[in-house]
Order: sequence, then structure tokens, then C-alpha cells
Amino acid sequence: MIEKEESIISEEEAAQYDRQIRLWGLDAQKRLRGSRVLLVGLRGLGAEVAKNLILAGVKGLTLLDHEQVTEESCRAQFLIPVTAQGQNRAQASLERAQYLNPMVEVKADTDRVETKPDKFFLQFEAVCLTGCSRDLMVRVDQLCAQHNIKVFCGDVFGYHGYMFSDLGQEHNYVEEKPKVVKPKTDESNDGPEAKKPKVDPNETTMIKKTASFCSLKVALEVDWTNEKAKSSLKRTPVDYFLLHELLLWFPALLHHSSCGSHSLCVPRFSPTVLLKFRTDKGRDPHPESFEADATLLRQIRDDVLEAMGLSSELLPHDFVSYCFSEMAPVCAVVGGVLGQEVVKALSQRDAPHKNFFFFDGMKGSGVVDYFGPK
Amino acid sequence: MVTLQLVGSLRKELADSLSTCRVLVVGAGGIGCELLKNVVLTGFKNIEVIDLDIIDVSNLNRQFLFQKKHVGKSKAQVAKETVLQFCPTANITAYHDSIMNPDYNVEFFRNFMLVMNALDNRVARNHVNRMCLAADIPLIESGTAGYLGQVTVIKKGLTECYECQPKPTQKTFPGCTIRNTPSEPIHCIVWAKYLFNQLFGEEDADQEVSPDTADPESCVLWDGDIKRVSTKDWARSTGYDPVKLFNKLFKDDIQYLLTMDKLWKKRKAPLPLDWLEHQKLTCPQGVTGTGLKDQQVLGVAGYCQLFSRSVETLHFMLVDKGDGAELVWDKDDPPAMDFVTAAANLRMYIFSMNMKSRFDIKSMAGNIIPAIATTNAVIAGLIVLEALKILSGDVKQCRTIFLNKQPNPRKKLLVPCALDPPSANCYVCASKPEVTVKLNVHKTLVLALQDKILKEKFGMVAPDVQIEDGKGTILISSEEGETEANNCKFLSDFAIRNGSRLQVDDFLQDYTLLVNVIHCENLEKDVEFEVVGDAPDKAPTRSQEEGKNVANGNKDSSEPSTSSEGEQNWHFLIYNCNLAKIKQSSLTPTTTVTNGINKHTQCVQIREVRQ
Repeated sequence: MIEKEESIISEEEAAQYDRQIRLWGLDAQKRLRGSRVLLVGLRGLGAEVAKNLILAGVKGLTLLDHEQVTEESCRAQFLIPVTAQGQNRAQASLERAQYLNPMVEVKADTDRVETKPDKFFLQFEAVCLTGCSRDLMVRVDQLCAQHNIKVFCGDVFGYHGYMFSDLGQEHNYVEEKPKVVKPKTDESNDGPEAKKPKVDPNETTMIKKTASFCSLKVALEVDWTNEKAKSSLKRTPVDYFLLHELLLWFPALLHHSSCGSHSLCVPRFSPTVLLKFRTDKGRDPHPESFEADATLLRQIRDDVLEAMGLSSELLPHDFVSYCFSEMAPVCAVVGGVLGQEVVKALSQRDAPHKNFFFFDGMKGSGVVDYFGPK
Repeated sequence: MVTLQLVGSLRKELADSLSTCRVLVVGAGGIGCELLKNVVLTGFKNIEVIDLDIIDVSNLNRQFLFQKKHVGKSKAQVAKETVLQFCPTANITAYHDSIMNPDYNVEFFRNFMLVMNALDNRVARNHVNRMCLAADIPLIESGTAGYLGQVTVIKKGLTECYECQPKPTQKTFPGCTIRNTPSEPIHCIVWAKYLFNQLFGEEDADQEVSPDTADPESCVLWDGDIKRVSTKDWARSTGYDPVKLFNKLFKDDIQYLLTMDKLWKKRKAPLPLDWLEHQKLTCPQGVTGTGLKDQQVLGVAGYCQLFSRSVETLHFMLVDKGDGAELVWDKDDPPAMDFVTAAANLRMYIFSMNMKSRFDIKSMAGNIIPAIATTNAVIAGLIVLEALKILSGDVKQCRTIFLNKQPNPRKKLLVPCALDPPSANCYVCASKPEVTVKLNVHKTLVLALQDKILKEKFGMVAPDVQIEDGKGTILISSEEGETEANNCKFLSDFAIRNGSRLQVDDFLQDYTLLVNVIHCENLEKDVEFEVVGDAPDKAPTRSQEEGKNVANGNKDSSEPSTSSEGEQNWHFLIYNCNLAKIKQSSLTPTTTVTNGINKHTQCVQIREVRQ
């Protein structure tokens, strides 16, 4: 897994990584330095994650994206030069990404991720999927979990964003806690007056812990038809759905026409709607075709909610404005949280967020929530 | 159907105002780089950025607009150049300057629609706070340290200003603790830094290193009339002989302390070191293994050697600089850091403390705040989102937002809280600010009033002071040289006494403060003045309850506050990190901060140590 040969930190690395080594320690930095990461999707969110991981000092980062640079994406992403229109997004991002930290091996891959064989993913310690379809995410997650590869997903829709992580059934990590200094009569180690037990902030101890994660597939199969879930559903406001359920669509939505299925989980709305849009149109809602797209979005919303027996007022009329494109500051927030989760998982240090993070840029609230088996 | 025109995710009106307004970003470091990127990508077109600092290699783990080849260059300038590469249409003005320069007056600030701080020290934050109040421009304030961060909005008349809440005051260690009875490593480190200044730098009466015979605990009534020679003069007389210095500091002075036996009745007595004895011991060749070289802890013999070598090097540097030269301590200057490491460790050894590695001592002596890219990225994202609310005219939607390391019991990692209204008796933003200060009019110099009280404590940059004595006597003028003759006089020399009132103006900050003087003869030891109403060492504890005004849509907002003594529920405003390293300017750092961060908990306590 993580290569053990290079356990010596060079002077250059020590100087450059000084401020973060002082935070997460040398061991964590070494683990990062032995990790290879795959990043799929180089839009706004992808660029943020790339920056964060490259600066953190991973061994290698592969940028995978089959799309081309459009005029709009020049404005949305800080790694792509303005002259790069028509080029592949990953390729165009490569140079600036590499400049962020020459000590990281940054590569660009222009293939469609759907066409990658299973064994492609096995060369990485962590895989991060941004802007991907549900099916792909489920497939990659399932494959990676088998091989103890950490999986992360994330997306940004206007003012909202989310991330999901699957660190496997047994993710081991450490937490550093301050050591309580017990007084010894003769051997006072921190000073002649150490008579009472002191928490010395400079002396710490590492506590080993384990966390267990479920797959994305299972996380999405939450059964909301039981009474407990239903009552929690009632208590949660619409914003919760908009915010929290960006990924929690359910299989039936693909069989949207057959709305009689009983085994279905209660669908979530906006994200459900968005992902349905993505499935139908093969792209995301686009500002240029705003009017037409907005109409379609509202139509889908009505259909979905009607299938649920819920009022279409549950999703406010202007929800459409939240669905268009990525907002830079939202990418920064979600990319920051997501980037740090990858760092934590690779360095095996500090409790990971389990298993979703939802960000509402309108309210400035960021919530960690768990969906999966109890 | 409502027609909504969008530009990206923003309504057209908002998008339009983005492209026309001017904004100011103060600071181009950790938060600043992320902020500039966000600001430009969001669509702001007219941006000005200011930073006095230059790029250092330790910045490169997070200040992503800079590369190794830029080390030594101006942060503001390089930031601008890099940003232009991915957004050539942005109109950016970069200033390699201090925001406290009088050129940046109220008129300057009035040019902007809003100001965003990306600072790392309280002095500058206080100043920008006042300028924005004076210009009545919204200010977005922020700070990060390690995994934690915070953003808030300051709008005159609507919200608290930056100085409405008392911040933890400077923690100064009493002189006798530093000089006689250190009990923690930090005391020894402070002592070592004082020693550096006494030997090689600017000598300061507040930074004595020799045993303190006036220690109330020592009960020494008469010190035998020992002739007081300045440490530097004495060192010079020995030619900075490392062995002589060593024996004085680590043997003779310790032996003297031992004669003050009352000090050691309840404390473990210090053990003097002898140079010759420790020469006999070989320096243990530490097995470096896979650790950082700096993280090793050498033995006493090793630090004896290090002390000797660094004294020689520093002496050489001093001589090289010429007559009357002084060195300024800098954590990134290897011999200076070596010296403090060695001296502090030797003192720790003497006082039975576990010695520390250079790595750890550098953190404490250099007030290093650990920092990573992701925290800054999140905070900078939140800053821009608040900016958009302001631009849309939705200031009431603005919040203070805390970034935690772990979610709180309500699952929140990012916690928005309602902004508080201004404090009625804030000595900065109240309509007629007033304070009361207790001091001894016979013992307080006019210079001390200016520097320690008005500038340091009350954050003024260029105060003008008039005595309200019916004659309008001018005590202090901000014009250089005008009232210099007053500096060495006592306040009482100007008939200032109990009940006197001083009108203090800082014209740059457009700030007037009325100071009531209370004469007091028995202040605590080492305390020169006291501000009435300031609880000693008072630290604000802000609970993270959502507050009554936050419309989070949750009907059961009557849920009780989650604050408890639990670590994850409270959080200090992160408002002071180490003062920006000033490499080329005529400013002098005034305040430094000890690394009071306990990175293992959610909460951050930052205490200042004046040195």
C-alpha cells in the first residue's frame, strides 16, 4: 500500500511543509507522501481539491477528465489558462497544478472515466470523484472498497454542495490527545512546581481508533418508509432536503415512470431532480439555456413530488437558481472540507467525517450527517 | 412566471454590481491568496490588495499563488501577477506596504464598497476596524489557526465592531518568574530571548535576565550594593567569551539565586552548571533515524556546545555590523534560533524541566501558528459568500461563521451565528467613546502614556492628546518632535491628577477617545496601569448557540444552547496570530504572541506575551 522506502524527509520538504508538520506531525506527512490519488473531474470543485492535495504533499495526483475547456470554464477554474479553449480540461490544468508543488507527481489523463477498466483504479490509495453520475460513483466505490482504496465523492450545485466518503469497513486512525501529567514526588518532569496533575499541551499521547463506513449504494438505500424515518422527515424543513439530500436519490428515479414501487425510499428533491436532469439530458442545467432548462427542472420537480404524493410547493419556485453552475466560493468550501478528509484518511490521523457533508452557501451552514445502516 | 436572469449562479443585478464595485483585500498570505482567487473567480473586477510582507519558503504549503522562485518577493505583487494569469481582465492594484501607513486614510477607504481582512495580527485588525468605522464601509473580518477558522461581518451601527468585545489581554510573566523562579519551559524561552536582546540586541529595562533581588518572595533587603553593569557592557568586557558568559549565567547567577533560600523552601532548587564538568561529557550522537533533525533533543553537553558556537557567531555578526550595532532576533536566523534553543534548554535543565527540541522551541519562541491550505480555503470561501450578501443589500443575512474541527452535537461543522449589535460602551464605536484608566500620575511618563497606553492598549497609531484643563494644554502631538520634550516628564508635572480628563485624537483613524484618569498608588507589581472595566485576563467565551435571530427555518430553535465546558462547543475569535514578519520596513513589531494553541481541542486560546 503506502510505500515505506522513503521514510526520510528531505530538508526541502521539512522547510516547505513546516507549518503543516507542526499541525499533523511528521508521521502523517510521510503517509501523505507515500499516497497516490486519482481525481476525476476538473471543474471548479476538482480544481480546489487538486490544489489542496498537491499542497498537502501527496506522492502523486492523476487528473482525469475527458471534457474540453469551454469559454465558461476558463472563468470558473484557476488552473486553466485563458488561452486553453478547446483543449482537454485535465491537460490544460496540468501545468499550473504542477507548479503548485514540484515535489508531487501530477499527471493528466484525458479518457472518459466510464471506460476505465477496474484495474486502473487499483493503483491509487484514494479516489476522488467530482461531477460524476450516480452509477459511476456506485460502481467505483464498490470496486475500491474491495481493495481498501478510500473513496470520496463531491459535487457543487450553485450555492450548495456535498461530499461523501467511504473509507471501508475498518478504517484505522489515531487521535492525538493531551497527556495528563501525574505528579511524581521526586521526578518532576515539567518543573519544580509540578505538584498537581497538569495537562501539558506539549505532551501528548496517540489513541488508536477504528471507524466503519458503508458503501455509497447502501447509503442511498436508506429506508424512509418506516415510521421513525417518516416522522423525522416531517420535522425537517425543505431546506434540509435541498441541503442534505443532494445525493440521496434512489433507484426508482431511474424507473421514474413506474412510480408505484413500494420498496422505494422517499426520494429527495432538488438533487434528485438535478440528477434526473443529468440523466435525461446528458449534461447539467446551463445558464445559456436557462429558460428552457428552468422549465424542464420545474417539470421534473413536479413529476417527482407528485409521484411522492407531496406538494410541489415543497421545493420553492426559485430553487432553479440554485441549480446552475458552480460558484467559486462554494467550490472553495466544499473542496476544502473534501480535501481535508482525503488528507485525514491517507494520513490516518483524526476522526473522519462520517459519511456525508452538506454545505448550504446561502446560510453558511455545514453539516456532517450519516446515512447508512445503524 | 418570474423571469430570472442569471449569470452563472447569480442574479443579474448582483453580477453587475460585482463588476463595477471596488473592493480591498488586506493581506496576501494564507487567507489572502485563497481570497483573491475566490474574489476574482466570483466576478469582482476592481480589486486592491495590500501586504507588507515578502514570501518565505514556509508560506508555500498554503499560499498557493507563490512558487519557490518567488521567495523574497512582495506577496501583494506576486499574488497580483499570478491571479492575472488566470484572469487577465481583472483590474488589480497591489501595494507592498503596511495598511497602517497614513497614506491609507479615511478617504482611501471610502473608495471601496467593502473591505475584506486577511490579517494575522491584532494591531492591524484594530486599525482597519477603526478606518472602516470612520469611513462607514462594511468590513469582513476573519482568522484561522490550524484546523479552526472564523468569519464575521462588521458594519457600523449595525453590528459589533472588532473592539466591542474585550479580547484576552496580554499575558506577561512576572519579572521574578522569568528571572528567579521559572517553572515552565516557556519561562526559560522568554528568558533566553531577553538574554539575546541584552547581549546582542536592543537592551530593554523590561527584559532583565539577572537575578531579581527585589523579588517579594526573596526577602532580600539589601543586595550588598552590587554595582549594576549592563549585561551588554559586561559581555563586552569579557570579549563575549562563551565560557565566561556560560559560567556567569548558568553557574554564578544560579548560585546567587540559591542564596535567596526562601524561594526554594517549597520549590525544587536549581542546579548550577559548570562548563568544565560538562566538557568532559561527550555529546551523544543522536540517531537521526527518520525524524526531523530539529526534532531531536540533545543532551546538556550538546547544548553547551551549541551555546558556545552561537555566541561566537552572533558576536561575529555584531562586530561585523559596526559600532553601536544591534541584532534583531529572528526565528529564521539560524544562529539566533540556535542561541535561544541552547540558552533556554540549559536553563530548563538547571530548573529540572525536560529539555525541548529546536523544533518545539522554535514554535514557542517564534510564536508559530501551524497552518494548512484547506482551513484557509474554507474561510476564504465563506468570506466571499458574506461579501455577496452585503452587495445584494442583505446585510441582515450576514452571520458570524465558525469552522470547527469536528461537528458539534448538532452535527454542524460550520456554525453560523447571528451578529451581535454594537456594544453600548465600546471604547471605539460608541458615539462618544470614553474610558477610565488607573495609574500613578507621579510615576507614569508621558512617553509611557503614548506608547503603552494609547498605542498598545488603545490601538492608536498617531495620538494627539489635550488636557481638559480649561487651557487646552497639548500634552502629546502626533507631529514628530513637537512634544518630544514632554516625553521624559511625569503626568503630574502637567498637573494631571485624580479626576483629570484627557482628550485623545487619532486623526488618521478619525477617532476621539476621552480618557478619565484615576490616580492610584498601589497597583500590582509590574502593572503600570489598569483600565477600569477590564477584567484581568478576561477571555470571551462565546457559545455557539444559533441565537434568536438566525432564521434557520428550524421551528424548534428554542433548543437550549449547546455550550458547556465541553471542548467542541466554544471557540474564541481567532484574532491574533504571530505578527507578520517584517523584513523591510521601518516599523517595529510591538507585540508577539505565545503559541497558546492547544491543537488537540476545538478551542483556541490565544494569549499575547509582551516581550
